[in-house]
Amino acid sequence: MTDAAPAAPRPLIDSNDSRRPHGLLLVAIPVFLVAWLVIWPIINAIFRTLWRPDETGAIGFNLDSYVFFFSDQYSINNLTITLWTTLMCAILLLVICLPISLYLRFSAGRLPAYVQAMAIFPMFVPSIILAYAFIRVLGPNGMVDIILNSVGLPKIRTPYLTPWGPVIGLVWDNIPLTVLILLSGLGNVANQAIEAARDVGANRFQVFWHIILPRISNSVLVAISFAVLGIFSSFTLPYLLGPASPEMMGPFMNRTFREVNDPLNAITQAVITFCFCIAFGLFYVRSVARNQGK
Amino acid sequence: MSVLKITDVSKIFAGPTVAVDNFSLEVANGELVCLLGPSGSGKSTLLRMVGGFERPTSGLMTIDGDDITHLPPERRPTGMVFQSHALWTHMNVFKNLAFGLKLRGLPQDQITEKVEAVLELVGLAGYGTRGVNQLSGGQQQRVALARSLVLEPKILLLDEPFASLDQHLRERLREEVRDIQQRLKITTLFVTHGQDEALAMADRIVVMRDGRTEQIDRPDVVYREPQTPFVAGFIGTMNLVDGAVSNGRFTRADFGLDIPIPDGPATLAIRPEALDLEAAETGEAQVHRVTDYGTHGLVDLDLGDGTRLKAMVAHPDLFSAGQKVNLKPQAMAAYRDNARVYRS
Repeated sequence: MTDAAPAAPRPLIDSNDSRRPHGLLLVAIPVFLVAWLVIWPIINAIFRTLWRPDETGAIGFNLDSYVFFFSDQYSINNLTITLWTTLMCAILLLVICLPISLYLRFSAGRLPAYVQAMAIFPMFVPSIILAYAFIRVLGPNGMVDIILNSVGLPKIRTPYLTPWGPVIGLVWDNIPLTVLILLSGLGNVANQAIEAARDVGANRFQVFWHIILPRISNSVLVAISFAVLGIFSSFTLPYLLGPASPEMMGPFMNRTFREVNDPLNAITQAVITFCFCIAFGLFYVRSVARNQGK
Repeated sequence: MSVLKITDVSKIFAGPTVAVDNFSLEVANGELVCLLGPSGSGKSTLLRMVGGFERPTSGLMTIDGDDITHLPPERRPTGMVFQSHALWTHMNVFKNLAFGLKLRGLPQDQITEKVEAVLELVGLAGYGTRGVNQLSGGQQQRVALARSLVLEPKILLLDEPFASLDQHLRERLREEVRDIQQRLKITTLFVTHGQDEALAMADRIVVMRDGRTEQIDRPDVVYREPQTPFVAGFIGTMNLVDGAVSNGRFTRADFGLDIPIPDGPATLAIRPEALDLEAAETGEAQVHRVTDYGTHGLVDLDLGDGTRLKAMVAHPDLFSAGQKVNLKPQAMAAYRDNARVYRS
């Protein structure tokens, strides 16, 4: 008869555990889909626009499509209107959403609950419905015109089919996400931190500027980055509400691809749009990292 | 001279909930008054009203005769130290202290001088460049105190400032705060639900219950001569025995005592340290448990009907569970209709 050796205690995490691949399998599907549907098309698009045949038919490094984009005034105008629209939307979103979020954070009762519901409501409205609602209200002979007409006032100059059309629609469309992100950031500002500021003599504006804003700077960055990334590459609202020329990059790409039947230039426009978005993304990541490092 | 006067102040929240009910108090120059009471007694609401963070429903508050009842916090000559420190984590220690001075438009050299002086006062000289998250809980509380003191407020308000600290640190900090308060002779209103803190720090204690004053007195008086059974039960350990008086004798189960008050129900209050025990064959009470604390012992007693009493004894080894004893109170008070009717 031999003495049985005492069993060694099983480590909490076993590096040889045969179940480990199961965990990797769980993430494999989304990783594969991202690689297949996002990363591969990006690499492919960049490759197809940079590595292609010249006039002689020889395949090599070729920047012609980019040279064309940046030398074509119409393309430049489209990029400019896209940047302008994005900037205007970002500014308006901050101007509109920050007061709403502050009100919701520092108010109690039934009215703020209704205001929050109204602020979140656009999230549940599809862009196409929003666009047609916009046209029916602010478009030519829309509700505003009819009301003004009924009281004998002149018609308004409608923003429909002007650069302000997409701005209004995109701002309305992005209010819910922006408010939610800002509200989440404001939730981290303790009431006592604000009361302490008032106690040492800060008025409401000084409390906002010196205490609240620095504490929510990350949330502002996140909110604006999300909005900017979405707006820069948006399609439906600029297509339905914006002018035919200049047009934002989304409709421009669509028209170049479908109507002009010029896939190379459409892909070039997509790569340029992607480069701007990745630049916004990198700026956001750097700013957040810097703020967290403080 | 900085005198805080609170006259007939009430605060009714929606509901309606009466948080503070017709409260009056005068805090003399350089005095430290402690608002003591259980949760929901209205002490923090009262402090917040003095700080301007709550508006009184009615009443008047003055500092040195100036009406501050409806002034916003930023225009009051008060400085508040919050329970959670409420430091601004995006600023370092120096900036936390300098913020209020900057708002007052002081030149930079004066700001630096004042901040360094007050950091020295609270024992944090050289900590100006530290981030507040790099400090311990005690250091953070010192910074919070320094932030209020640097503005030289007429009235210092302390809202349970040691609640988030451990026992050892709490005891050390309360001594330091008391020293600073006495050195600066700053009028102070201090909220706590810790009776030890109140007894150790206060010049006077205001015991509050349901938004009302139960008793305002010096700590020793509140401890030794509680005016109501609530104060008697809230401050320190107190044996409260409900019973009846008949022909000048109070009785409860086998326990009896002569008290010269009219017949009727009464509540007897005896401190454990004022209750002597005498071993007896057929005693008034039975020893339930004996706990030896080294310096003294605590004997839990059963009166026979489930009523439990505590007696502090010098020699716990003389008593054992199951032993019968007679009770010999050396000092006591009797209460009827929420008022003291007898004291010995």
